[in-house]
Amino acid sequence: MKNEEENIDLLLERNADEQLAKVDWEGLNAAISSRLDKAGQSKTAAIKFPTVLKIAAGFVAAAAVILIVMIISTDGPPDFQLENGRRAVVKFIEAKGSASVEIGHAPAKSQVMVDVGPGRSKLARCDIEIIDVNGDLKEKANRATWIIISRPEPVYADNGVSRDWTGIICLF
Amino acid sequence: MDDSRKANTGDTERLVKASQAGQRGAFDELVRLYQRRAMQVAVRILGGANEAAEAVQAGFVRAYLSIGKIKEPKRFENWLLRIVANAAISQARAAKRRAEKVEIGDHYEDKRTLSPAERQSAEELKDAIGWAMLKLSKREAKAISLSGLEDLSQGEVAEVMGCSVGAVRWHVFNARKKLKVLLKEYLE
Repeated sequence: MKNEEENIDLLLERNADEQLAKVDWEGLNAAISSRLDKAGQSKTAAIKFPTVLKIAAGFVAAAAVILIVMIISTDGPPDFQLENGRRAVVKFIEAKGSASVEIGHAPAKSQVMVDVGPGRSKLARCDIEIIDVNGDLKEKANRATWIIISRPEPVYADNGVSRDWTGIICLF
Repeated sequence: MDDSRKANTGDTERLVKASQAGQRGAFDELVRLYQRRAMQVAVRILGGANEAAEAVQAGFVRAYLSIGKIKEPKRFENWLLRIVANAAISQARAAKRRAEKVEIGDHYEDKRTLSPAERQSAEELKDAIGWAMLKLSKREAKAISLSGLEDLSQGEVAEVMGCSVGAVRWHVFNARKKLKVLLKEYLE
């Protein structure tokens, strides 16, 4: 048994010795070197490629943001123009028995964002009319302590709930 | 004794670190030091020198591309041998699949019906060993090939294979048992 094992080992050894004796080591070295040169070039390309990808991804992301903004801006009602030329955005978050209005970017747009569901994704919009405020509506400033708005139902409310008031009065 | 045995761990460690720092010349030096060792493993798995040379080239390329992953540079040799053994086994199996596709699977059988004198030729033996190695499991092929290497202890073989010394012995035992049957005609 032991002898047979040794024979196998000797056979493998004999073949290895015979084969290795034929090897042109310098030639092999040159072949490996050549393969490494090619691999090195691919490696460099691979390192550069992610940078190109990152730049491309940046462009795609920017384009996507622009597209989303365009969709959002064209999807809702037209900007509400106040009589005195002011525009307003009022975020309107409705809860049972109460309502609150958040004013921001006042001169920019005149839409109301109405929360019609538990998630932020269920925002509907409607035009509003600011009847009166106790202060100026300035861009990025929430100076008003109270505001009276009046407007019909949201242009669309994706929970299907109909709103039956045409005017809302909000006091801060 | 081959060049890799002459290289002390300090040299290897220095060359690996330099290679990791992007010095191509350092990796070339590692190739020079370890190509014989790599060939010894590959030729035991594939049988022939030409086939082994291809696997060794592929192995060194893989090693070059992932040299940065070595956490213990002094263990470069074992790491490299594992890569080369894997490359050799993959190559053998790919060659087998190709051979099966073009239906030259009987090729080896034809050769095995040659006269005893012809059978003794080196070419015949290397083909037979290459064919027999394919009949072993990957672990058996690795174990028997690495165990035959000069100066590589069973503990080191176990490290290369990522298993215990006991498992190495078991795989070697099974490999020898199978090879005894597969290469019976060459043992007579």
